[in-house]
Formats: sequence, C-alpha cells, structure tokens
Amino acid sequence: MKRFRGSVDKPGLWPRKGGRLSGRGACRFATQVEYIGQRRTRVEDARLVQGQGRYVSDVAWPGQLVMAVVRSTHAHARIRAIDGSEALRSRGVFGVYTARDLGGLNRPMPMGIVDTSFEPALQTPLAADKVRYVGEPVAVVLAEDRYLAEDAVEKVRVDYEPLEPVIDLDEAAADRVLIHEARGSNVLGGFEHTVGAGEAALATADLVVEEVLRIGRVSGQPMEPRGVVARYDAEQGVLEVYLGTQSAHGAKGHLVAMLGLPPEKVRVIAPDVGGGFGVKMGAYPEDILAAYLALTLGRPVKWAGDRLEEFLATNQEREALHRVKLGVQRDGRIVALVDRFLQDCGAYTPMGSLIAHTTAINLAGAYRVPNLYVSYQLVATNKVPVGPYRGAGRPQGHFVIERMLDRAADRLGLSRIEIRRRNLIPPEAMPYDTGLVLRTGDPIAYDTGNFPEGFESLVAALEPRLEERRRAAGRQGRWVGLGVANYVEISAAGGFEGAIVEARPDGTFLVFTGAAAQGQGHRTTLAQVVAERLGVPFESVTVVEGDTALIARGVGTFSSRTMVMAGNAASQAATAMRQELLAAAAKELEVAVEDLEWEAGRIRVRGVPASALTVGEVVQRLLQSQERVRTEAYFSAKGATYGFGSHGVIVEVDPATGGVSLRDYVMVHDGGQVINPLLADGQIIGAAVQGIGTALYEEIRYDPQGQPLNTTYLDYLLPGSAEMPEFELIHQRYAATNNPEGFKGLGEAGIIPSMAVVLSAVEDALAAGGVPAFFAATPVTPEAIFAAMNQGGVSHEAASV
Amino acid sequence: MTTRQIRLTVNGQERTVEVEPRWLLADVLRERLGLTGTHLGCEHGVCGACTVLLDGRPVRSCLLLAVQADGHAVTTVEGLAQDGALSPVQEGFRQEHGLQCGFCTPGFLITATYLLEQNPQPTREEIREALSGNLCRCTGYQNIVNAVEWAARKLAEQNSAKP
Repeated sequence: MKRFRGSVDKPGLWPRKGGRLSGRGACRFATQVEYIGQRRTRVEDARLVQGQGRYVSDVAWPGQLVMAVVRSTHAHARIRAIDGSEALRSRGVFGVYTARDLGGLNRPMPMGIVDTSFEPALQTPLAADKVRYVGEPVAVVLAEDRYLAEDAVEKVRVDYEPLEPVIDLDEAAADRVLIHEARGSNVLGGFEHTVGAGEAALATADLVVEEVLRIGRVSGQPMEPRGVVARYDAEQGVLEVYLGTQSAHGAKGHLVAMLGLPPEKVRVIAPDVGGGFGVKMGAYPEDILAAYLALTLGRPVKWAGDRLEEFLATNQEREALHRVKLGVQRDGRIVALVDRFLQDCGAYTPMGSLIAHTTAINLAGAYRVPNLYVSYQLVATNKVPVGPYRGAGRPQGHFVIERMLDRAADRLGLSRIEIRRRNLIPPEAMPYDTGLVLRTGDPIAYDTGNFPEGFESLVAALEPRLEERRRAAGRQGRWVGLGVANYVEISAAGGFEGAIVEARPDGTFLVFTGAAAQGQGHRTTLAQVVAERLGVPFESVTVVEGDTALIARGVGTFSSRTMVMAGNAASQAATAMRQELLAAAAKELEVAVEDLEWEAGRIRVRGVPASALTVGEVVQRLLQSQERVRTEAYFSAKGATYGFGSHGVIVEVDPATGGVSLRDYVMVHDGGQVINPLLADGQIIGAAVQGIGTALYEEIRYDPQGQPLNTTYLDYLLPGSAEMPEFELIHQRYAATNNPEGFKGLGEAGIIPSMAVVLSAVEDALAAGGVPAFFAATPVTPEAIFAAMNQGGVSHEAASV
Repeated sequence: MTTRQIRLTVNGQERTVEVEPRWLLADVLRERLGLTGTHLGCEHGVCGACTVLLDGRPVRSCLLLAVQADGHAVTTVEGLAQDGALSPVQEGFRQEHGLQCGFCTPGFLITATYLLEQNPQPTREEIREALSGNLCRCTGYQNIVNAVEWAARKLAEQNSAKP
C-alpha cells in the first residue's frame, strides 16, 4: 500500500517543542516513554479474534425469559384492539404485554440529549392508541426461548384502523394529514440563523445558483443488532442491565427516569459492543421494556434484536430536502449561501433537533462564507424515527456546500479544483470565526490548520494520475472522472467525560471511564495516554470501560469526543496520580519531591540510586493508611475541536452497466495530536467507506403506504470488500488549542466529504463521456446514471456498443 | 415438539446434543454448546458473521439446520488457535488492525483461513473477492486485506522453515 507523507512531518508545522506539545502540563515530567503517537496493536484483539468477546447476545442467565416484539405492520393506524390470548396459549410462553399492562410506565421516554429548542414528540415504550411507523412496538411476548417467543408473536392479533400515511417531506409539511394530532402540525420545530448580511447579500453576487438537494435516508447498520439483557438482583436490590449502547450512563439515566428507581439501584454495563455509529444511543422501547419486566417479574429478560428489527426499529438518518442558493463572484469567490431545509424526523424525535442543527452549523465547510442564511423545519413523517448516524449532520452540511461549489464552478467555467482554492480559509485567517454557533452557545471558530496546504497535497497526489486513468479506461469504453471535496470536522462539543486512575499494590494501574468503545479501541488508546503521563510501562495499565458501577459519572462515546474528553481526563488523572505517588515517595524517602526522579516504574533519589522505591512499594505504603489510591479527573473542552481534511477520488463509470468503480481514493486528514496512528487511520478509512455506501448503494425506500421496501441485506446494499478501493492517506497534524493534549476528534472525519466527493467524481466521468449531469440526490445508483445518460441523449445501449 | 439427537465434531471434540429439528446450527453452537464466538449478524445468509467450517468448507451457520450437520465436523472461531497460540490469520488481524468492534471478525477469520488453505499466496484482489461474502461495517476492509496478506506471509515463512 502506498502511503504518502504530507508536509506534516516537516519541522515547524507542529506547535510542539522537543517532540511534545508546548506550554502545557504535558511537559512537566520527563518520561522515558513516548506512548502518545505510537502505532500500537490493540489490547482488545487477542480476546476478540478467539471468539472470546462478550456481546449482549452472549449474555445468558439461568431462568431467563426471552422477549420478542410485536411490531406495527402499518405506517399510520389507530389500534382498535390487541388480542394476545392465542399467543398466551402458545408453547413456552410466559406472558404477553401490551400498553395497558404497563400502567404508569407507558409514558413518553426521555430524549437522548438535552434540547430545549422545540417541543419534542416522544415515543412511549409500547404504542397505546396509534402507531406511527412500520416497526413500532405494540406488544411484547416473553417465552422460554427465542423460537417460542417468535412463534407467539405471530399469534398476537392486532386490529388496526389504517390511517393515511405521510411519507414525503413537502407533503408532511403541508399538514394535510397530521401524525401527532395534538400538535396541530407535522412541523415540530424550527430554527434560523444569519451570518453577515444573510440572504440580502445575494443581490451583490455575479451569479446565483439554485438547487434542490435531496439526501437519501440511510441506516447505520452496525453488524451487531441492538440488544439488552436485564436482571434484578433481589438480594442487593439492584437492577443490572447489559446493553449494547454507546452511553451506559445515558441509558442508566433513562432507566432511572422511567422506572423510578434510585440511581444507585441501577447498574448498566456496556460489554463488548458490535459497532454503534450513533444509532446505539438514546432511549429505545426494548431497553425500557426488558428492564421493567425483569424488575417486576424477578426473572432475567433478554432481547436480542435481529436484522429486520435493525431496519424497522433502530434510528435512521440523513433524509433531508435542501433548497439552496449560492451566490458567487465571477472569479468564484463565495458571496452568500442560503439554505432552507426540511429535516425528516420520522415518527418521533428521540434525539431532538441534533441532526438538523449539526447540518446547519456545517454548511460553511472549510470555506470563507461571509454571508449565510440557514433555516430548517423539523418535519414528522410516518417512518422510522431519526437519530444520529455517524456524522449526524456533518456530511449533510458539507454535501450542500460542496455540491453547490461544483455547480457554481461548472456555471462559471471554472475548474472544480480552482473554485475551492479561491474559497478555502487560509492559515493566516486562523482563528477563523465562521459566524456560526455551537449548540453550547460557543462560536464556531476554526483554531488551527492549513487548509490550502492540505488541499494542494491532495490535488498533487491525484491530478497527475487522471490522464493515465482516462487513457487506460477509454480503451475499454469507460469514462473516468475526478472529484474533490474539503471538510472541517467539528467535534467533541459539549459535555464532559471522566477518568479514574487507581494504583494497585503490584504497581499496576486501573483506569475507569464512562466512555466505552464500540470498536474504537479505547482500552488501548487511553492506556497509552495514562502510561505516558504516569511514566509507566503500557502493559501495566488496564482500562475498564462501560460499567456505571465503576465510575459514577459519564457521558459516552459519540460525536468523535472520547479522546478529546476522556483522553484529557485520563491525562489529568494520571498526572495527579503521579504527583500523589511522588509526594508519598518523598515522604517515605525523606527528601523533597524535586529531588526525585521517576524512571521505568521506579522512584529514586537523584544521584542516590540505592535510595529508591518501586511504584508498587509506594502504593503499598499508602494503602497502610487509606482504603485505595486513586485520582480522578473530569474534563470538558471549551468549544469544539476542528479537524480539516480533503478527499479526492478518481472513478470509472461503465456506460454499459451504470456501474461505478472507485480507482484512486486519497484522503488528507488533520487529526491534531494523534494517540495511535494505526487506530486513527482505521477510523478514517472505515468512515469513508460508510460515506461511499450513502453515495452509491444505500437508501431506505418506502412505498406510498409507508412500507419499507428494503429491509434485508439482499436489497439494502452495504459496501463490500470487492467494491471498495485502496485508500491512501496524507496526514496533517495541527494540535487543537482547546484541550491540553491537543487531541482532535476524528471518528467521523472520513464520512463527512465522501458522499459529496463520489457524486462529484461520477459527474466528472459522465462529462468526460459527453453526458452533462448534476446529481442533486443520493444515492447515485446505476439507475440514476442511466437517467442522466438518457437525459443527455446518450443511451447505455449505444454506449455499450 | 420432537427432538433429535445429533452428533457433531466441534473443534475436534465429539459433542452429542438433543435438538429440535428447526434449530439453526448457529443457535445450537451458541446456546447449547456455549460457543458464542460465532455471531449472528443478519440471519439471512448475507453478512457472513456466522461463517463456520463444515468438514473444512465455509458455510453460513444461520442458514443450516443443526440436524443437517449431524455426523459432520464443525470448526468455529474458538477452534482456530492451536495450543493457546493464535493462528497466523488471527495474528494477522491483530497486527494489521483488521478488526474494530470484532463482531464480524469470527466470520472473516474463518473465511480467510479457508482462502489461504486453497490459495496460499492470494493477490489483494483475490483476497477482496474471497471476502466479498463477509460484511464489515467498521474497517472499510483495507486492514482486513492487509491482515490476510500478513497471514499469507507468515504461513509462507512457517512452511519454508519446515524441513
């Protein structure tokens, strides 16, 4: 694999001194180790490659009952009656429960984030009077095993009175049919924001391009479906819940609120979690129901969702309708961007306005947009509720600006590369206040980076290959095109995360954090941070995550926040631990702390090698007079981190099949101070592939009756190994300024521009084949390519001759 | 419901188990034999997470009834390591960061193990083709391909070291 080294490694670009971040706590101790920044294999893997992982579906308790869910078969209907009598007689069935059996439990579930910007529409654990999407839970069955539970589900008779469904966004916003009657409108909330002169500035533009952009609805599809196992420990009076979640503490909060238990009586454990991507967050009905039934029945209850349920009942995302105007000068400089969009919420708003708002604040991308107006409406439809999927608005915002720049460049007769050059924010403008504002109220001001340098390194890597690719493919009748796009990943805005470091008498350390991983490798990366800041061998640090009994407060893993928040918390807790151990050693050795040096797990008096203690010995002394040796820190970064990047791809379009092949895919990425490049690159590549899925393959489609048309992997296509390209990465490293370690969020970076860049490249390829095209909607399937060809007067039959 | 007694050789061990004829091999492995390393991702034969070897050939254990495996040998991810040492394929995934969440990994390991038995020196394109029946949502596949290449190199080294 070819790896580019960008200008990153040139001295002078790093805001560091002597290989370390300057001017901060990081320099306080000279340690022998350099774990931060080290490419390391993961401590997680030995278990996982031997099948020793423990995922929720692997958890089984003696005497457990298995829960299966009766789901609405209608997109919009009134429930007249539910008859569970036949199901109850079914073999191995313990009980059938409807909304009526839940009593006070069946009230709206809490929203997954704090959002006071509008009045949410929240789902109850079971639908009581009305269903609002196909897949909404209306009853649950408990049985001895899953086979028997699913047998019984088929025997529950639900009498529906079908109502007209509302699927289309414009139609929903017209309010002819109401989904939440009491609200009086399907528009549940809205927002607007103006930067500079806003829309009025369009009058001064030489050219205004207008487009209606439509982003398809996709599903996160972690390979492990959602699941929960709950059991009530009557002796301790504690409800213990194993949950496939990105936020054990968030889930605990929801359970406490719904079940009315004291917080200390609920323990949530996120064991190995098989991918999250945003969808394993917030309160889901199954989590509440399993916990409630385990509590009330005194028997463990397990629900392991299947793939169909992942399609029918797990939050989806992306769908939005943007009406956009971009005003530019003749030379391509942006004058103003105006975007009015409808955000599809699906039937409920479990995660508030998060996605719409994040879309809005991503509209400027990496460019100077002096005037901007954005407004959105949150629109309910009879579809699966919308909640975050990796990127959570970032790809959508960037899709808008990047698509519009392509459109403007074409109209001006400017190259798509050149128009970006002329609008990228230059390094001398940093910090650059975009005029946009985070949900926390902080201004969005890009702090560090060199966008033009990154973009030029991308162009330099790809442009020279284009002609050769064109020649080679042209001989086979295929069309080749290049697309480029830039982005800024706004991440880790708001909230906090904590870390507890506990020293053990054998000289090893435990680290507890609430921010559990779903594949990101926190047990490795947080151990790297702690080992470096403590000055101890990596192997002596063990990270324990995702158990609310082990750390009382936590937030979770989403929004590319964990290394920024938990990473800095771990760093601070480790630094405090080091100080505590040094102070204890100084007392023991009867010297001043300044006279001590710390090397390879030993603390000794400078110049007196014989006068030394091992870390373990110091801990043992401390434990003679205290219960435990632990330090803790809770870190909240101010504002957000801003990681720039560029993607470029050369694609081949086969006019005979409408198939798109990705040939060269180059990514420039500024991850700030990266903890583990091996894992960081893995995040970037994995995210890019998800974005390619949205660009080319994935879309949840509904028929006019609100029936989802593709709910299996046979008809909802995930990117596979054979279609995906080899990615090349170019790294930039400009440390973030809002956290002592200089970390930047990077988990969502790869997905942000990949949708826009692929569409751009496919258009460029079609243009090379004499087909003018502008794709205003995702995904670009062979069908969409044929449609463009037909419109351009080129039939694929002719092209294939 | 009637049950049938079946005999399986699982990871080299004889196992006898009483099952309902409708039970899937994957469920029997996971719930009856405690081998939870075999994962259920889609239960309709596309994602490949449940892939096991049946008499040495990869099959979807979510599409096979346990009674169909009666009398046959099954190798699961738990059977890949020998004497506590990771197999070259397992080690390759660790070395090359070929897994993130780890949920799809058992299926990839089984498929890759079979691939390298059939074709010890595959090209990257051949590896991608061979793995195209397994879905991963985390890695973007590149490091999985690297992992299989790593394992192929390791196996070649091991074979050339043999007298």
